[in-house]
Amino acid sequence: MSNEIVVGGKYKVLKDRYYTETDEWVTIENNVAKVGITDYAQKKLRDIVGVDLPQPGREVKAGEQVATVESVKAAADIYSPLSGKITEANEELITSPELINKEPYGAGWIFKLEISDPKEIEKLLNYEQYINTIKKREGL
Amino acid sequence: MFSSPLLDIEIKLNADIGEFAGWQMPMKYISYQDEHMAVRTSCAFFDLSHMGRLRIKGKNDELDKLVAKDIKKEKEGKMIGPTAFLNERGGFEDDVMLYKVKEDEFLVVTNAINREKIISWIKKNSSLDVQDLTFDLAMIAIQGRNVWNFIEKVDLQPLEFRLNTKFMGEDVFLLSRSGWTGEDGVELWGPPETLSRLITRLVNLGVKPAGLITRDSLRQEMGFVLYGEDIDSTITPIEARYWVFSLEKEFIGRDRLLEQLKTGVDKIRIGFKGKKNERVLPRKDNPFKVLGTQVGYVTSSTYSPYLNRVIGMGYVKPSHLYLGFNLNIDVRGKLIDVKISDFPLIK
Repeated sequence: MSNEIVVGGKYKVLKDRYYTETDEWVTIENNVAKVGITDYAQKKLRDIVGVDLPQPGREVKAGEQVATVESVKAAADIYSPLSGKITEANEELITSPELINKEPYGAGWIFKLEISDPKEIEKLLNYEQYINTIKKREGL
Repeated sequence: MFSSPLLDIEIKLNADIGEFAGWQMPMKYISYQDEHMAVRTSCAFFDLSHMGRLRIKGKNDELDKLVAKDIKKEKEGKMIGPTAFLNERGGFEDDVMLYKVKEDEFLVVTNAINREKIISWIKKNSSLDVQDLTFDLAMIAIQGRNVWNFIEKVDLQPLEFRLNTKFMGEDVFLLSRSGWTGEDGVELWGPPETLSRLITRLVNLGVKPAGLITRDSLRQEMGFVLYGEDIDSTITPIEARYWVFSLEKEFIGRDRLLEQLKTGVDKIRIGFKGKKNERVLPRKDNPFKVLGTQVGYVTSSTYSPYLNRVIGMGYVKPSHLYLGFNLNIDVRGKLIDVKISDFPLIK
């Protein structure tokens, strides 16, 4: 079984991660969450030309704005899916922000966070719920 | 919502379709930056079918009074180039490309958002006959530094155009040596089926498809204005530094331009470049600041793939138009530094 589902013939959703209503994806390993934006989000933003990354060490709450992605179309706020402490930001995006367009689920990750309240994970969307979110928005 | 008649073939070429001025158009293919550099170093084509295309028939004198450039002295079969229809206050009703077919017949390309407005405006201000060809013909531009290596040599002089001619063996309605990218090339109007076939042949030759995002970054590098962004009905050609008029003749809005030339203007268009590592893009209406005080506003901005920096344009008080002068732009509360630069920004 493939890990990848294509919604509306266009937007890739991976089964192996959590999602948010604000189009972030999350993977969790050893209580550390890795966060990026979804293929749907990067396609909607079109060409990304810059990213304002969060400072490591910053304590954030779930839903708090932590980064900004600049595209030729608009500036989009990125929200932390979980509460915790930022441990790392993807510095490669400073010189190559287009990685988010090219590999949104891979090299285009944005930041990592040490989770302070694991219970919040239950509130994240699974891939099926996120697919429904996209379908609803796109009228599919 | 209208759709380009070329969308089918463009979707096959992986076009990312979006909405511009009420039209479904290709916004980009894979990456606007690659498409942009294709024009600056090689060759690409654009679908411009959203732009208004009108045929105007009637007295030469009547059109001459509406348009800011002197069209009476121009020869038949000439592209008169960019000019404008202005309102009584000297503001742009639209900036247009004008072609003189015959003594009493012209072709006009309008901005997509102004097509209906301009048709009504011409009818209101003259007895000219206006025929809307927009939905009968598609339009593409083929542009690039190596354009002639990709297409058969077109024997066209600048400012010339041809009607009902052949291009790469296809019958096209209009062929002109024009564009809006700063590079050489041609623009074509033709039936959608003809232009679809041409697109296939161009792609097979190695000409890249490019979208409207790239067209926007190319025109900003050159300092060309976009209606609705950098100019509108409240901005005059003098404020915009857009020399599309002949003061020797009468036209609507002329008195206001003469007045501005005597008394001066309150604002004037500038170009700017950001610092090398700055990736925050200013947006329309972000304020230009000097020592914390607003001295103008941004109208367009993008990230230049050619210069690898933020570029854009806007208006400042004339007292602040110093080339090389530093301005701050307040982007969502963050101040970024830019330098006033002359057009074209890639010079």
